[in-house]
Amino acid sequence: MSIELWLLCIFGALLELDTAYAFQLTFSRGIIAGPLLALLTGDFATGIQAGVFAELLFSDVNPLGAILPPSATICCAITVALHALGIELCYAFIAAVLGSLLFIRVEHYIRKQRVKFLPVWEDKIMKRPKAVTRILFDELLRCFLINFVFLALFIGLIGGFLSWLQPHINPRAFFACQFAFMAVPWIGLASLIPEFRLKKR
Amino acid sequence: MKFTQQVGFFMRSFFLQAGWNYQKYQNIGLLFIMRPFLSRLYKKDPKKLEDAVARYLATFNTQPILASFCFGALAKQEEHIAHAQNFAETHEETQAWNTIKRGLSITTASIGDRLFWGTLKPLTLLLALFIWLVLGVHIFESTPELPLPCLYIWAGSIAAFLAFNVIALFVKWEGFKTSYKAVYGACYGLTSFDWNKTIYNAKKIGLVLTVAMILLGIYYYLREFQQSIDVHFITRAVIVLFFVCISFITRRLRIPNMYLYLAAVVVFNLVCYL
Repeated sequence: MSIELWLLCIFGALLELDTAYAFQLTFSRGIIAGPLLALLTGDFATGIQAGVFAELLFSDVNPLGAILPPSATICCAITVALHALGIELCYAFIAAVLGSLLFIRVEHYIRKQRVKFLPVWEDKIMKRPKAVTRILFDELLRCFLINFVFLALFIGLIGGFLSWLQPHINPRAFFACQFAFMAVPWIGLASLIPEFRLKKR
Repeated sequence: MKFTQQVGFFMRSFFLQAGWNYQKYQNIGLLFIMRPFLSRLYKKDPKKLEDAVARYLATFNTQPILASFCFGALAKQEEHIAHAQNFAETHEETQAWNTIKRGLSITTASIGDRLFWGTLKPLTLLLALFIWLVLGVHIFESTPELPLPCLYIWAGSIAAFLAFNVIALFVKWEGFKTSYKAVYGACYGLTSFDWNKTIYNAKKIGLVLTVAMILLGIYYYLREFQQSIDVHFITRAVIVLFFVCISFITRRLRIPNMYLYLAAVVVFNLVCYL
């Protein structure tokens, strides 16, 4: 992986923190994270398209209660990185959606792990309330590292695999994947209609 | 509440979810936000501080933007607990504190989720799409060509970012102030704003914009095939229409769109090979 892609993994891992754990200033939204990540590769068209498509595709899953929606940042980071490695955009996007689904499992793991740490944290905080700051920022650092490792591993492994596979893929499969890719904005826009359904109260 | 204190609350509130866990949700984040306030309030009474910390470590979960209403109201009630004259009064005020925490967190979560995640986020997405389409960034094409000016590329993102955050940060900032000053009867300032009407009107705008965006998409789609409406065009249109119709059904069945997309990849591959 080139230096740009390592930087993209770092930047993507940082942006991912904005999804839930820090700030929530919407830097992690597809339409913002996509162009931001594309700054590193210089391919803004891919950044914008990946961002818009990811956000439209995931717009029907909201982070209500304990629901974990797939991460648009992870999806954009993987798409932009794989495309920079020479993978066709339609294949890169399929891999990115699968990566986002896999990342939900990682998030579940992080949150489950915290339940194990909770008694220790509470004990520390009860003894010294100021310890809460240290605990919180250590946790943010741990999340960042997990995000980074996930992105680097996924992009490295899947990027290598797709680079090997791509020349062997039948043109019909390319046509089918391209077709499905272009259906994404339509599927996304159609799901916005029920999202805006009117319920008079 | 002093201005510096409010700034402190505001800055710390960005880390409410940093310790989110499946057992007590945002409890660590809540304590992180309230800790300087508690330390100041119970400077001379470590036993009371310990009791307060234990209370804040109990389960807490709400929507992170409207959570500011909870912080203001809880801070106000904490002052009542701190200034209680005897054990009975302390017990009564603590019970009231628990009621406020439970009641207000549920209410703010319900309003916040509907307003910010369910309405404002998709609305600002549509705003960005319209801006990009107007500026010539055509997302319905398989490989969109970008106009050169850098501002054009960022216009959609910046507009969505500002539209969402100006409202979110204003609500967050005002939430502390209003809930700290308000009384129980006024639901800690929540009733000072007609949330339902705002959500209803925003959803109405969203619905109109979505329909307009779909029509615009169809227009671009037809323009692409202006020269020859052939079998390829009709096949593509029918299949896309089929998946759009299916998306309404999958929505009712609570199947997320991403699975529909992955199913589309499989189905299109099968069709292409047959």
